[in-house]
This record gives sequence, structure tokens and C-alpha cells, in this order.
Amino acid sequence: MTPTVDALIDAVADRVTATIAPLYALIDEWRDATRAELERQIASSAGPTAAELDPFTAGLATPSLVDQESLVAGAGFVAAPGFLGDAPWHLAWWLAGPGGALRRLDSIDDPESEQFRDYRTLEWWRVPAATGRRHFTGPYVDYMCTDDYTFTITTPVEIGGGLVGVVGADLYVVHLERVLVRALRDSGLSGTLVNASGRIVTSTDAHRATGDLLRLDGLAEVLARVRAVVEGDRSGDQASRAASPVASDVEIAAALTRAELPGGGVARPCGATSLVLVTGA
Amino acid sequence: MPYQPGRGDAARAVVFAPLDGAGRAFLVERRLEDAIVAGVLRDGERLPSESDLARSLGVAVVTAREALESLRANGLVRTRRGRDGGSFVTFDRDTARRLVDERVRRLSRIELRDLALHYRAIAVTCAEVACDRASEDDVLGLVDIDARADAETPGGARRAAGRFFLEVAALTQSSRLVHEELRLQSEVGPLLWACLRDPAARAAGHVFRLALIDAIREGDASLARRLVREHLDAATEWLVDEKVRLEAGSVPLVPLASAASVDRGEGSPSRAGLARS
Repeated sequence: MTPTVDALIDAVADRVTATIAPLYALIDEWRDATRAELERQIASSAGPTAAELDPFTAGLATPSLVDQESLVAGAGFVAAPGFLGDAPWHLAWWLAGPGGALRRLDSIDDPESEQFRDYRTLEWWRVPAATGRRHFTGPYVDYMCTDDYTFTITTPVEIGGGLVGVVGADLYVVHLERVLVRALRDSGLSGTLVNASGRIVTSTDAHRATGDLLRLDGLAEVLARVRAVVEGDRSGDQASRAASPVASDVEIAAALTRAELPGGGVARPCGATSLVLVTGA
Repeated sequence: MPYQPGRGDAARAVVFAPLDGAGRAFLVERRLEDAIVAGVLRDGERLPSESDLARSLGVAVVTAREALESLRANGLVRTRRGRDGGSFVTFDRDTARRLVDERVRRLSRIELRDLALHYRAIAVTCAEVACDRASEDDVLGLVDIDARADAETPGGARRAAGRFFLEVAALTQSSRLVHEELRLQSEVGPLLWACLRDPAARAAGHVFRLALIDAIREGDASLARRLVREHLDAATEWLVDEKVRLEAGSVPLVPLASAASVDRGEGSPSRAGLARS
């Protein structure tokens, strides 16, 4: 690869990172604020309750949800089962509506109901719960929420070494894809952006469909390394996790360097986003 | 040249068909009944008031009232007066069973097969697309759903079947297919999975799930399509047999030589043992 093409690849990867990173930072802020609020509630006589936490969570989520320019389409907090005193299973999630209106997601919190779903099996809970780190889920069809084609970013909230819930946001695939494909096209580069499972997020090649798996020689190995670095320890074991503390986004980005693919292309991880830009293949 | 009404005529007829009051009350009732039977509206849940219901469904208050009265008559809704009053969903296992039986009796064999075929069309396509789009993690998700399936009870087995097919639909990455799957599960699900009252059918469901998971893991679309088709066809044939069983229990005995029994028509085979078409 010539130096100029390398520089172009770096520039596009940086632009992808710049699109996603502010959302990651925002959710990290929500996590810190939620943790502080829950610590306050735990110390109080009533203990942590949904009744007190929900208005707080709504307050965190609302500015992004009413902002028409924001990619955030849904946001909130999901509690660890049994953590909140007044609600054993609890989702506090709000969705942006037309004209800036907000709607609270009507979740099924009764385990006896036909429609009840144990959310601990779902990727947006399961992975952050196991790794202790932020996770980027999708693209996927979020049938628990809206049936929409979605990305979900969630990060765990931990108090005293225990998981008390996750905070996060939903983005519509059609919206994020539009922004990302523009970043690719503007550069003049031909490339495909995939998630850490090799699923196509967007491509300058219109025949590479969002949602398809990109099957290229050598890509699986690159993606396995991306997952290992971004997710760290997936075992869910506190002790082993303590031995390898959570790397910062800067450290993760530094550890994920470009890789050349056997077929002649290049796989360039985009910072700590867990997305990978594939060019020349 | 005989006049051949084409698709255009049928489509236009739907647009300009009358919206008569009786028809709409039935549609409202069916929509709510489907939701109650599918568990979307839960036992004990308070329904919106007549006027709120009318407003959100876009019907007259009297239409909503008529629909609620029908639901009350069928034991699906109970009304409480007073300050804390309102209409509440009442739904238990016996009511569930009775409603499914009534629907199986009410629908003709042709309609039952048509509903089943519609559901099959979506399910088969979902399985096919899932073969191409499922990642290894996705396959593990399916394994997990089957592992958690409660095969001991009909209710548990129905829930597992619903979740499994919904997850296969989600693996297509298609919002529209998931939406269709949800919609059809609500409408057709209780009928198609009525067979799960039978323990043998519950066991067969588990075998089917494992086989489909393997097909999806291997990316074998042709096998996946066949597995789903055969599984749903078996459920449909059970339903057809169940309809015969339900009707045999209610139709009075008819003498063999009766000419009237020959012309009985669809959905009412006589005990005289006439061959079914």
C-alpha cells in the first residue's frame, strides 16, 4: 500500500471513530451520574428504587432524545434483576418520537407473563455484564423494543464490584449508516465497514448489503483480535477481571493496528469503536 | 369475451368497501381478542376506557362499546363499576383452550390451511435467510432458547416455539420479516401450536429446533426450508384432525342413506363416515 492510501484509510477510520466516540463519551457520563445517584439512594433509608431512579434516568436521556440532530433514538437504564427494591425486573427506557416528543418503552416486567423476556440473555446485557466494559450491539432487529433495525450501545454500572445495571442508547441503523457511508464516500476510498462479528454496517459497494456477513480470508482472525482487545475478559469472573484492568479507549485504539488480509486488502480497526474498515478487498 | 376482473379490480374493491358498524365492532373485538390470547394484553390488565379505545382505534364509541360487550360475553373481559372501575382482561388457561377450540370450529378447513400457509411462507423464508446471515453467536442464541424451553407444559412449549421462531426471524436482519412474524404469531400462533397439548408434539418440537439449528449453522438453506415446511405442515394436519375431533363431538349422528348428508358441505363431516376431501 502506498503511503497516501494508508493516510486516506487512517483518515476515514478516524472519521468513523469521531462519529461514534462522542456517543460513547455521553454514555460514560450517564454511567457515572447513575452510579453516583444509586450510591446516594443505597445510603438512604429507602434504598434504591425505580420510583426514585426513573425520573433521574429520564433527566439524563431527555436532552439527546429531544435533539433532532442527535443520533440517539432511545436511551435509559436497565436494572440487574432484584437490585431495585420496588421492581425486581426493571427497564427504564425512553424513545424519541416525532417532533421531539418522548415515549416511555412499555416493558413487560412480570416474569409470569407470556411476553416476558429475561433480558440477561440478550447481547446488549450479556456482553457488558460479562466483560465489565461498554459493548456495541448490532445491527440487529430489536424486537424487544420497537422492531426497528438498531444499534445499541450499553455500558455496565457497577457498585462495590457488583453489577447493578446497564445504561445505554439505541441508534437507528438507517440514520447511522447514512452518516457513515457519507464518511466513506467523501474520501473517495472504496471500503466496507463491519462490526466485530464481520457484519456489514455500510459499504461504498452498493451490492454489499448492510446486515450481510462479510466473508474474506483472514478477516475472522482480525475480528477475533478486535473482540479480544475491545472486550477484554469475557469470563465474567471478577477476580480474573481485576487482574487485567479495563483498558482506556486510547490504549485499545493503540493496540488495534491495521492488518493486511491474505487476499490483498487491509482491515483497519476504527479506534476503540469495535468497527473495522475493510478496503481493497 | 367474458369480463375478467383483474387484480386491479380486487384492490380497488377493498379501498371502497363499506365500513359498516357491525363489521368494525367485530374487527375491534378480534384485534383485542388476538392480543389477549397471545398474551400481549395480560390477565388483570386494565383496558383503556371506551372513549379512549374508540379514539385510538378510530371508531365510534358505540362500536368500541359493542366490541367490549362481546369480549365480556366471551369471558375475556370483566367490568368493575365505581371509582376504581374499568374493564379488565380476564384470561386463564381454560378460557384460552375454549377460545382456541371455538376458533378452530368456526374457521373452515380452507381458512385454517390458508392461515397456516401464510405463516409458513414467512417462517420458511426466515429460516432460509437466517442460514446466510446468522453468525456463530446468533446460532448460540438459538441453542440457548431451545435449552431454556419448557417442554413439560403446553403453555411453556408454546412460549418456546414462539420465541424460537421470533429469534430465527430476527436473524434475517429484516425489520419487516420480524414485524410479520410477530403479527402472524399473534393471529395464528394459538392455532398452529394447539398441537403442543400433545406431549409427543412437544418432544418433536425440540427435535425440530435442534435440526434447524444445525441447518442454520451449516448454512444449508434448502434443508432449513424443508425442516420448517414439514414441521408446520405436521402442526397444520394436527389442527385439521382436531377440527374433525371437535366437530365429531357436536354433530348429531346421521343415517348412512340420507341424501342430505352428501350435500353437507365444508367443515361438517358426518359420523356416517363419508370420505373427506
